[in-house]
Amino acid sequence: MRQPSAGEALASALSAEYAAIYAYGRIGVRLSGAARDAARQAEAAHRRRRDALVVQLTTAGGVVPPDRAGYALPFPVTDRASALRLAAEVEERTAAHWRAALASTTGADRDQALAALVEYAVRATRWRKTAGLTPLTVPFPGRPT
Amino acid sequence: MVLTWPVGIGRTTQRDQTSGHSRRKLLGAGVLLVLGGTVTPLTGCDLFDRDDEPTPPPDPLRPMVDESLALAAAYRASATAHPELADRLNPIAETHTAHATELARVIGVTLPSAASAAPSTAPAADPNGARAALRALEKTAQQSATAACAAAPAERAALLGSIVAARATHQEALK
Repeated sequence: MRQPSAGEALASALSAEYAAIYAYGRIGVRLSGAARDAARQAEAAHRRRRDALVVQLTTAGGVVPPDRAGYALPFPVTDRASALRLAAEVEERTAAHWRAALASTTGADRDQALAALVEYAVRATRWRKTAGLTPLTVPFPGRPT
Repeated sequence: MVLTWPVGIGRTTQRDQTSGHSRRKLLGAGVLLVLGGTVTPLTGCDLFDRDDEPTPPPDPLRPMVDESLALAAAYRASATAHPELADRLNPIAETHTAHATELARVIGVTLPSAASAAPSTAPAADPNGARAALRALEKTAQQSATAACAAAPAERAALLGSIVAARATHQEALK
């Protein structure tokens, strides 16, 4: 399997960030109180990474994938429980994209990918805790299953 | 080759299972990184190996195998001391063993016996203290894995990234 270039890996991470931001739009409206605040903070983190990636890819002259109007969610979000489950799922999936970028990057770019993987994996654990899901952690965060 | 190596006098050889014990005794809480090269294989062969076959340098990930096993042992010890925490701690112990297994596979060594990886200190008497101690161990281990990931070749970076992230999530799960 050919290893994607750093630009391709980061473009893939950007597409994942678009989808995460879209998903949090659906998640936030089903939550209240502290969980809603946490969703807002999570969405803001994904927006920051999206913005940084757009700048980074543009500066490097790489392909900047476009955002889409909508993204297929893995399951419908109808209530608090499904919103929390989706939030955990979104974090795990975006973590997987950043994990994939580790092999294609070195130096500061790899540090950046690792920071995203760690942040999202930790947030997935937090969502699982809020949702009452077990186990709270997975052995290899971001690894395709 | 018909030569057989002398087994050495009062020393252990690479094949001697007890060598794992003497090494592991050195595994204090914070000295994990200096290991790996402390047991020189087949000391009795220096005469033959001296010039033409230098000992290959230990794999830089070798200490992480021991580190993962030591973490697993620390969790098991705390779970035994505080059975009310066992449901939370045992899955994390299994994760650390899974990391050790995967790391050993990647670097091509046999996984040392997990049973002999005794934790360096006894778990704290109160459950909260035990959890705090495990969090501190995970934090230190996350830092060492972060350094390993930054320095790793491409084919190892993803595995090490997952190990860094796992150690971070354990700190969150212990809160």
